[in-house]
Amino acid sequence: MNRFLKVRALGAAVLVVVIAGSLAACSGSTGGIQVTGAWARNSAAVTGAGAAYLVVQNTGPTADALVGASSPASKTVEMHETKIIESAAPSAGASMMPSASGGMSSGPMMGMVPVSRIEVPAGGSVELKPGSYHLMLLNLVADLKAGDTIEITLQFEKAGKITVKAEVRAQ
Amino acid sequence: MLSLLAAALLTGCAGGPAAPSVQMVPNLTPAPMGVRDTVYNPLRPAPALRLTDQDGRSFDLTALRGSPVFVYFGYTHCPDICPTTLADIRAAIARAAIPAKVVFVTIDPARDTPAKMKQYVDFYAAGFIGLSGSDADIATAAKAWGVGYTRGPADANGNYAMTHTTESYLVDSAGLLRNHIFFGAPTNLVVSILQTAGG
Repeated sequence: MNRFLKVRALGAAVLVVVIAGSLAACSGSTGGIQVTGAWARNSAAVTGAGAAYLVVQNTGPTADALVGASSPASKTVEMHETKIIESAAPSAGASMMPSASGGMSSGPMMGMVPVSRIEVPAGGSVELKPGSYHLMLLNLVADLKAGDTIEITLQFEKAGKITVKAEVRAQ
Repeated sequence: MLSLLAAALLTGCAGGPAAPSVQMVPNLTPAPMGVRDTVYNPLRPAPALRLTDQDGRSFDLTALRGSPVFVYFGYTHCPDICPTTLADIRAAIARAAIPAKVVFVTIDPARDTPAKMKQYVDFYAAGFIGLSGSDADIATAAKAWGVGYTRGPADANGNYAMTHTTESYLVDSAGLLRNHIFFGAPTNLVVSILQTAGG
């Protein structure tokens, strides 16, 4: 293309970058990553822990991953996955045997495992929800009371930091 | 170029929070299909449950005869499974409009003293009864109910998670152990279970 068109193309590209950059400052999304539906369950500070849930959508062409999070509501935030723990052995004195329950076996042992990254495929989404992936807010600064709003900053491998507001619900 | 601009504009701020999803992932314990899959057969008196309540008083499950009772073993530091289960039970009780009691038994007595249980149940303000006891008494109760539990490794701050079986149990108002409800059971199922067990 001729020089004039090249300059126009460059100008338009700069405009796109500037607009994309300013949009990235909006809480909830940046560069194809959108975070929606953030909520936390109410929890007493004495429990030392709370859980937050949300949906991450990746509308971009590149896979990304959630690699960390932080919040003023707690000392640290970890990522965990609730799952069946096949290898767990019950502690002494506890029994998995169905004899006391008569005719029905106990269900599996469940727990949560820390995860260092939660993948968000290109064009895909991942949901942090009860019984699955969740953000664990460790060492709460105060009670999480229904009706409160807390801020959570998510760290994505490619998209960088995204801060969202999570509503605290009693559910 | 214009389409690039449009695309950039469209990756705008997310809207308000979407409707919450409390569906369980499909690859957890498959939830029973109906009330019958959770029923103990034959019915028998509920196992003994004699521990210390959140006010430091001796508790005996038989004293609750006259009301249906949900019994659930968990721990207060549990951020996901236990609060989810308690919320599900509370929702089912409200929807069934049957005044069932809820007894939450700790499998982490090292941290969950009666005083801690009191702070926990008072926070939820839903009339829950919180039970604690010595390691030996908790182990006896867990064994009687078929509950397994184990402590995970502690982090640098001394925090640890527990791994445990996650069913809740419904005892009817005559003190019979009726149902064995898996984690993730839909609210409608728990409502049916409660209605079948009677008020």
